[in-house]
Amino acid sequence: MASSSRTQVISLYRMLLRESKKFPSYNYRTYALRRVKDGFRENRNVDNPKMLDHLLNQARESLAVMKRQVSVGQMYSTQKIIVEEK
Amino acid sequence: MASRVLVRCVRSLARPSARLCAGNVTLRAAAAPLPLTQRSFSLLSCNQRTRQTEQTRVPGSLVQVCRQYGDLPPLTLEMIQDRVMYVLKLYDKINPEKLQVASHFMKDLGLDSLDQVEIIMAMEDEFGFEIPDAEAEKLMTPEEIVQYIADKKDVYE
Repeated sequence: MASSSRTQVISLYRMLLRESKKFPSYNYRTYALRRVKDGFRENRNVDNPKMLDHLLNQARESLAVMKRQVSVGQMYSTQKIIVEEK
Repeated sequence: MASRVLVRCVRSLARPSARLCAGNVTLRAAAAPLPLTQRSFSLLSCNQRTRQTEQTRVPGSLVQVCRQYGDLPPLTLEMIQDRVMYVLKLYDKINPEKLQVASHFMKDLGLDSLDQVEIIMAMEDEFGFEIPDAEAEKLMTPEEIVQYIADKKDVYE
């Protein structure tokens, strides 16, 4: 993996994780965190530049979707569920 | 968690009794000698980190809510190190027995760059500030993390 795309992947990973943590709903939040981690790990050995580009674009799209859904979720937040109480 | 639940119970208990006292004068007069109206709830500590104490007193019709805010204990290098090591021990891909202060995440502990990102984010959560990408990727040992946090929080020996 070229070093430029490597830093891109890492920064996308950080951004996706950050965004996942912002979901107000517990279920979406834990799902997003799990999905982001699994998705990156699943494709950790991808070398093909075309495939890499495709995956990076997919990740960017997901990030945009997540940003939107986080703000929608914040408009309609509900009570915390019982497992979230610390 | 137990203390949270306790706080909630106390709050829900305190509210109706206050309303009752304020609304009905005769009832209040009748109830005044009873020790029940003088009930005081003291020192319900919540989270260990936020250290909030809240005191709710219900003397007659007057409801006083008094809040006291505490300060966090000052950070020291040892405390930072303890917290860093604690977070690292809880991370499921690190073997707590292998973990040393100077062990390198990738060379000694066999983690990859994604794990390292997760560790740094866990540190951000623990210490409550953001670590920028450029500096985050240089932090490869618990020692370096401790040093970085100490620099950022102005902790010196």
